[in-house]
Amino acid sequence: MNNIIGNSLVLLSLMTSLSTSFLFFKKNYSHYLKTYIASCIFCFFSFIFLIYCFVISDFYVSAVYQNSHTTKPLIYKIAGSWGNHEGSMLLFICIIALYGFAFCYFSKNFDNKFKYLTVFFQNNLTMIFLIYLFFLSNPFDYVSSDPTQGLGLNPILQDPLLLIHPPFLYFGYIGFSLILSLVLSGLINNSFDSVWAKLSKKWVIISWIFLTIGILLGSIWAYYELGWGGYWFWDPVENASLMPWILSVALIHSLLIMERSNTFKSWTALLAISTFALSLFGTFLVRSGILNSVHTFANDPERGLFILGIIILIIFFSLAIYIFKSDFVEKKNNIMFLSKENFLVFNNLFLILFLIIVIIGTVYPIVLSAVANQNISVGPFYYNTILAPFVFIFLFLMGTGPLMKWYKNDFNAKKNLIISIGLISCILALIISYFSSETNIIYILGLIFSFYLIVATIFELFSSKNQFNFKQYLSKNLSHLGFGLLILSITLNSFFSKEYNFMINVNDKYVSDDLEITFEEFNISKDINFDQFSTIFKIKTNDKSFTLSPSIRKYNQPEQLTSEISIKNTLLKDFYLAINYSSIGNKRLIGARYYENFFILGIWISSLIIVLGGLSRLFIRK
Amino acid sequence: MKYVFFILVCIISSNLYADQKIDSKVIEISKNLRCLVCQGQSINDSDSDFALDVKELIKKNLKEGKKDEEIYNYLKLKYGDWILYKTPINVSTIFIWMLPIIFILIGLRFIVKRIRFE
Repeated sequence: MNNIIGNSLVLLSLMTSLSTSFLFFKKNYSHYLKTYIASCIFCFFSFIFLIYCFVISDFYVSAVYQNSHTTKPLIYKIAGSWGNHEGSMLLFICIIALYGFAFCYFSKNFDNKFKYLTVFFQNNLTMIFLIYLFFLSNPFDYVSSDPTQGLGLNPILQDPLLLIHPPFLYFGYIGFSLILSLVLSGLINNSFDSVWAKLSKKWVIISWIFLTIGILLGSIWAYYELGWGGYWFWDPVENASLMPWILSVALIHSLLIMERSNTFKSWTALLAISTFALSLFGTFLVRSGILNSVHTFANDPERGLFILGIIILIIFFSLAIYIFKSDFVEKKNNIMFLSKENFLVFNNLFLILFLIIVIIGTVYPIVLSAVANQNISVGPFYYNTILAPFVFIFLFLMGTGPLMKWYKNDFNAKKNLIISIGLISCILALIISYFSSETNIIYILGLIFSFYLIVATIFELFSSKNQFNFKQYLSKNLSHLGFGLLILSITLNSFFSKEYNFMINVNDKYVSDDLEITFEEFNISKDINFDQFSTIFKIKTNDKSFTLSPSIRKYNQPEQLTSEISIKNTLLKDFYLAINYSSIGNKRLIGARYYENFFILGIWISSLIIVLGGLSRLFIRK
Repeated sequence: MKYVFFILVCIISSNLYADQKIDSKVIEISKNLRCLVCQGQSINDSDSDFALDVKELIKKNLKEGKKDEEIYNYLKLKYGDWILYKTPINVSTIFIWMLPIIFILIGLRFIVKRIRFE
């Protein structure tokens, strides 16, 4: 029964979506927007209905059968609706519709033709994915085997952070669908100019905020859930979310030039199209299963091919429109060396460089294995080695650029200021390196350049002439400050964090330097959907002693072991302990990993400051 | 039972000698190796039997005084390039090391052409 209702809702949204496009071609605009909004509402209802099916555990619905179980807590039943391919696809469509809906709402006083065109493109995106969903990946498929119980949700996904991580990422990725629609309609409507840049920038920033939070949540989840003590693994799926993020940052900065001087249009359009293309590409990478990654819990190779087809179709059409409509007359050689504009150009150059590094690191091994049948691995070593020097230059440009003037070469007037900021950051870096007695050159350079950005940004924040000026640059200053702090925290973290791996029996001690870890006791308990083996460890370091109680859970549906870590957070460092059953028969012998992770809190907070910068642009009126 | 006993002896003896330098070296090396039976995990991050065996092997080799490079080479011969997260520079990987540098040079050339200095 519920299958029929669900399918009807999907079909209704598909039908209304088709009629929207039909009305557009017929140039019948009187009911055009209403039809579109109806199709959006049907999309929302189909997703809400899917959630309802999960809540009541109707196992005749295939998505519910495959990903839910009656013993699961309610909250994870709900999360199950987007913790699988079909459901997440429906959420994907729902968010495309939501952005279109929001655009209709916030664009009441726009030029009608531009608005209709944007809605048309947005609607077509909804339609393509609805067709795919209905025929190839339908969550409301009927399960004929009379199921009494579902198969359960991957326990590693049963985590509050993972409840909200995918939706945030989706809101980020899919926000760029609206940017694509805006670009295409701007191009066709011949209104792709600085006014366009101004109105589109808001939407870019909204998507960027979601994407940033999504990536941050994923990182926090990896840190707390995977039990490997790290927050970023350069895993292909993490990279897939980083790629559109990097491009969206480039897009925000190129929009600044476009908004200011009505140039750079061709490039901006290309960036916008690529950002959405990469968002889709990210979805494809995750869904296709061609990746060897911790994330490959939601994949299906055949459907991956269909998604690839859709991506190629979308990119092909967008590029066709772009090629025919982007013959802008732009003055050549118009950018002054060492003007603010040129620093923004440098920003784009470096961001594209970072993007290329991430892309080749992710894709090259796949290509090589397909072409030459040779398997290589690209890991953190590659990214860290090749990114570090460029990130340092990038930090310098990032601190210096905003001090410059638009159009004019203002470097000489600011020379002394730049030198003094440089000196202050060198002194700060030397002081820290003296007290931490670490003299690695990468470490010191990392400190100097991140301090340079931090000091330059703080200087700008407090030297603004008036309140208007302060508000105007607040969002930029916050985001830049956050980025400087982020690189600083990452540098400190990577040079000071310590790791100890050992096997231990109950009542035994592990001693190393000034560290003493005692396995005091263990306990076995039962919960509704898992059995738990919990432990108590006493940790003694040079100045303090405390207990940590990591545990191992054995989930019953599906059967899987997970390691629940235990952390003591302090401002400076995290004490992090994870345990696992060792492969040895004796149950009481436990493999333990103990980490002292520095400045993890700094990493989270600085990322939040970056997000805060974006939010302040949306909420503070200039 | 014999196996358990053997491992216990290993652990106790390793605790007794507590060669922390070797322990941290094992971590450093195993971070640069891929766990072949896992999904995108390093040997260091993994608790699989395979990873434990490799860690034990690295430790043994280090105790025998072998150099890092010898250990990497041994594992490479045995399991192929796939195991090395520390991507080596050779004919098939030179591309990923050179491309970023080529890109930045072309990009700079392009920008320099388009800007005014006066």
